[in-house]
Amino acid sequence: MADGKYFSTTKKGEIHELKVELGALDKSKKKDAVKKVIAAMTVGKDVSPLFPDVINQMQTDDMELKKLVYLYLINYAKTQPDLAIMAVNTFVKDSQDPNPLIRALAVRTMGCIRVDKITEYLCDPLHRCLKDEDPYVRKTAAVCVAKLYDINAELVEDRGFLDMLKDLIGDANPMVVANAVAALSEIQELSGKPVLELTQATVAKLLRALNECTEWGQVFILDSVVNYTPADARDAEGVIERVLPRLQHANSAVVLSAIKVIIKNMQYLQDEGTVLQLQRKLAPPLVTLLGAEPELQYVALRNIALVIQAQPGVLANDVKVFFVKYNDPSYVKMEKLGIMMRLVNERNIDQVLLEFKEYATEVDVDFVRKAVRAIGYCAVSIQSAAERCINVLLELIQTKVNYVVQESIIVIKDIFRRYPNRYESIIGTLCDSLESLDEPEAKASMIWIIGEYAERIDNADELLEQFLESFPEETAQVQLQLMTATVKLFLKKPVEKPQQLIQLVLTYATQETDNPDLRDRAYIYWRLLSTDPEAAKDVVLAEKPTISATSDALDPSLLRELLGELGSLASVYHKPAASFVSKLRLAVQRAEDLAAAAARGSASGDSEALTSAVVAESPLAASAGATPTAPAAAAPAPVPDLLGDLLDLDVPAPAPAAAAAAAAAAATELPVVFGEDKGKGVVVRASLVQAPAGGYDYELSVSNVSAGVPLDGFMIQFNKNSLGLAPASQAVQLDPVLPGATGSARVPMTHAAHLQAPEQGNVLQVAIKCNQLGVLYMNDTIPQHLMAPPAQQQPLDFF
Amino acid sequence: MESTTLWGYELPFPRQDLYVALIAVASFIPAVVLVNALVHGVLNIGGLILFVLSPRGDTIIFKDFRGNVPKTSTEVFFRKAKFWDGQDGKDAPPAFHVDGVQYLHVKVGGLYWVATSRENVSPSLALELLMRVHSICRDYFGYVSEEVIRRNFLLVYELLDEIIDYGFPQNSSTERLKQFVLMEPMIVKPRLPGGAKLPGGATGPTEVIKSVLDTDRTGAKEEIFVDIVEKLTAIFDAQGHQKSSSIVGAIQIKSYLSGNPPIRLGLSENLILGRRDARALSSYGSDSDAVMLDTYSIYEGVSAERFDAERVLELVPPDGQFALMNYRSSRSFRPPFRVYPLVEDDMYTGDKLTLYLRLLAEYPATKTATGVEVTVPLPRSVVRVHCETDAPNESKLLALPGKGAFEQAADWRERDRKLVWSLKNLRGGREHTLRCRLTVEPGTVESTKRDYGPIMVQFVLPGKPSASGLDVRYMKILKEEKNYAPSRWFRVVAMANSYQIRPH
Repeated sequence: MADGKYFSTTKKGEIHELKVELGALDKSKKKDAVKKVIAAMTVGKDVSPLFPDVINQMQTDDMELKKLVYLYLINYAKTQPDLAIMAVNTFVKDSQDPNPLIRALAVRTMGCIRVDKITEYLCDPLHRCLKDEDPYVRKTAAVCVAKLYDINAELVEDRGFLDMLKDLIGDANPMVVANAVAALSEIQELSGKPVLELTQATVAKLLRALNECTEWGQVFILDSVVNYTPADARDAEGVIERVLPRLQHANSAVVLSAIKVIIKNMQYLQDEGTVLQLQRKLAPPLVTLLGAEPELQYVALRNIALVIQAQPGVLANDVKVFFVKYNDPSYVKMEKLGIMMRLVNERNIDQVLLEFKEYATEVDVDFVRKAVRAIGYCAVSIQSAAERCINVLLELIQTKVNYVVQESIIVIKDIFRRYPNRYESIIGTLCDSLESLDEPEAKASMIWIIGEYAERIDNADELLEQFLESFPEETAQVQLQLMTATVKLFLKKPVEKPQQLIQLVLTYATQETDNPDLRDRAYIYWRLLSTDPEAAKDVVLAEKPTISATSDALDPSLLRELLGELGSLASVYHKPAASFVSKLRLAVQRAEDLAAAAARGSASGDSEALTSAVVAESPLAASAGATPTAPAAAAPAPVPDLLGDLLDLDVPAPAPAAAAAAAAAAATELPVVFGEDKGKGVVVRASLVQAPAGGYDYELSVSNVSAGVPLDGFMIQFNKNSLGLAPASQAVQLDPVLPGATGSARVPMTHAAHLQAPEQGNVLQVAIKCNQLGVLYMNDTIPQHLMAPPAQQQPLDFF
Repeated sequence: MESTTLWGYELPFPRQDLYVALIAVASFIPAVVLVNALVHGVLNIGGLILFVLSPRGDTIIFKDFRGNVPKTSTEVFFRKAKFWDGQDGKDAPPAFHVDGVQYLHVKVGGLYWVATSRENVSPSLALELLMRVHSICRDYFGYVSEEVIRRNFLLVYELLDEIIDYGFPQNSSTERLKQFVLMEPMIVKPRLPGGAKLPGGATGPTEVIKSVLDTDRTGAKEEIFVDIVEKLTAIFDAQGHQKSSSIVGAIQIKSYLSGNPPIRLGLSENLILGRRDARALSSYGSDSDAVMLDTYSIYEGVSAERFDAERVLELVPPDGQFALMNYRSSRSFRPPFRVYPLVEDDMYTGDKLTLYLRLLAEYPATKTATGVEVTVPLPRSVVRVHCETDAPNESKLLALPGKGAFEQAADWRERDRKLVWSLKNLRGGREHTLRCRLTVEPGTVESTKRDYGPIMVQFVLPGKPSASGLDVRYMKILKEEKNYAPSRWFRVVAMANSYQIRPH
């Protein structure tokens, strides 16, 4: 029997029909009905009215049916929290079933139902399942703790689930251990506790384990090892040696992560020869990635673009493998073209040029344009090939394909700017295509050429006159260019016709146009020409600096950052992760959930549920509202007051906004490096500043927002950083900070060569210790203006 | 002290051992998520929603693991992917983001497989996982299409629940999944018009449509398929000189052996791997008959050292289909096809041209290529096209509509501006000529001569030897059992990847 037929019911009164079928006595009929309900659910129909009827099917020996009902339950429990309670009894019963699959299924499903009322009942079954004799149940229960923590963190802590998870770390079954650790780390991420450091010994063990674990596991080991800073060249070599065999892996994620680790460690090597040898080893795996599915190829290509920007040598001899295939999807074609542009050199130019020419005759317009631009790029960047490139462009102009011609003229303009007075002989050919120009950039380019070489073009005045006819309708870009070209013409040939033209242009540009740029430039020309034509000549016809090859090269500091993120989304977008991943948004959404939950709670008169929800979620809600510039409540957290307000309001949604506003008002000028959201009862604001006497100071302010203990005994230490800074003294001159108070200090810095680590970029890792709270780790950044001098000295060898 | 606690909890053993315990035995991601999270403070695997969208945009499967991605994501994705860059029909890149939600997708089996996340995840990891979900489905259902997924959608949900829990990949091997998944796959026989091949039918041993479950449950025939599939890339000039060439190949295995016994494959002994060896080769001279692979990757769990030393691959094949080895060779090969284009002016009229295409099948007569297709893009100046194939007249008469009995056909697809010449079967050693009368706009004879092409050739050519020369010398199934003789199938297929003739 095919599931597909369940999609076919589209009649009216469908819900009613299904209701009847669900009530049928025959088991297989019932099962069929449930399948139909789920089919309807999948295509987006609202089958929630059937909730009680479907839930009734839950108590069954038929595992398959049970799974189906659970599928339905997870989807609709949120909208029907009161009815979902009906399922609890069965869950509790199932969690004691003799069949381990059923026990695991119950606990897995319960965790997916994000309804507060259910989570309370989840605790006992979860407790049992975490100690289950079957590993499959235990591994499922471990993940369930993470699920529960996301819904109700306090509950997890109160009921001792964290301790139980910890116990599972010593479990005999690898699957259980793994999931327990995954859950713990997820919880750690949510609660924001300090992180562990990778030592030489742990890294060595991780690397030894590489061979044993699966492809997915390897990616994560490699992604963690990349954060390890090797002690010396030998250490780095050891890491590389262990990682090298991964380059042969069939999974592209493994290969990319392995390359990331190798590139990172390569910069610690001393021996030039070894580095060169390694570079050669990096090329083949990158090339192999291009044999994969186009989607994976795309990711590989974007990463290759980063790698060759940092290390052009890696694929210098492999330009051929990037040749475009006619059945490549366009996103792959565009990337390959971009990489070919980067790899082109004197040796391969002929081959590459032939390819580009071929691409310029394809059907995909965007691709064709980029191919033409690429030819221009070759001409500008490789002097010896400029003439060959121009010949290809001229051939392309002959095709008379509109967009090819226009694009060619744009790049020829750049070639003229790069090699002035060398190729004007082709201007005649260009002029033949005048009529086909309808794009502003192409028009502007052509006009620039005419103006620049007005003295060599006999009918330059006629050509410009043609363009001038439509002057008022042109875009600003064309108008500006047209005006400048007319002025050039006039200065080069001060005869009657150009004089008329210039009169016409300047009159229009000063009187008729609304564009201030155009008007102002017109006035400048006008005054220049009327007061001192010789000066005008010096200005307008001055020798222009020649341009160099423009490529879409990334900013070196961004490139360095992205190389550290090789194989992540950041490396595909070529943007830092912060620009597209937003934790804030997530938190806001939670606040919305909270509001909805509270609204439900108050609607059903269940004010206790509301209270617990608010207490549990308020730290999150507060941090949701806080932006980096508006730190969370600087004043001692008024938890009782806040709660009171929220209860009065009934709907707590405005709370984060109010808290944030209050916090913003109290914010000082120093950026927060350790916020209240970390849950330590302390807010640290700090920034590196230029000391008045030269050198650096670290300005620090500590606010005690905890419930009652004064903080004292402050010490400070820095991790390796690009400026090589360390505190002159570890003890911080700071009086005990009373609850609710704020203390400030200025810590003088010294330079410590052993802490110099250029690869840290602008990251400044700081640890502050005080007697009451232990060590607090925080990430600060070195302000850009302080970074500038060392950043420039830094060679862009590998990063 | 420090080393025996983890986040304040006491560990029963030194902390360093934790990593080893975790990773040495762990068989999936989350084990390592720990390490990653510890170092970054950021979990790399975020929430995942998987949904399969049919080409029309219906959502067939929607699975929300984390509840942190809006329900509208299916629409957002489809609108964005379908009209990428504001254009219909342009392929969207496999990774993009809208409103802080990351969308990662692959297009296989005529369907979009999409994962979403809110984190800076590893796109390769997500895409590989999606591919894995696809291949698990393929192993279960024999092949994948919209209809297959629709008919088995409940089973797909059941599978997804086992493969991923709360965004953590759990179990991605078909034979482990079999222990936990209850529903039976519903095998759908492909319904394709005119006996056409399945999508990607020639890319592997997929012509066998059979669920991996059949092996255990129905006691069906035990068999194993080993295919060498090579995709050829070549560029020729008008004179037929091969200007560049490369081979992207794979050894693909599809296994239906119950109990998963280990197997051993011996590859060609004259195999030269990588550039290191290549230098050694040049001392022998480049005309030796050695098989040369520039780069390769092999299936996890196969000892690379042993392969390097003995050219032997030993492994326990998992159920279903997988690539044992992917490789690339840039050594030139004997081209299976040559096409010589020739354009003649019409002496008398100013608006007519004749284009001759001579196609040579330069492989032994024992091989027969299928699906041969020669495509010639023609410039806009071409107004009318009239083609004549050289098929004998009788066969033209016999070509009854609906029976697909044609030997060859030429078709002018005016909308795509492409001339397509297809030959259903082509025996080695044969030669065919297509004659086309082109009517062009007046005065464009010269530019038409200059602007047609490049000519592209598509084909599927089964039969030994492979283009690279790579061969499986033997395969042993290492199972100590009398009368155990499962069927073993070997196949070598060459197909066009980008096979071009540039007439200018």
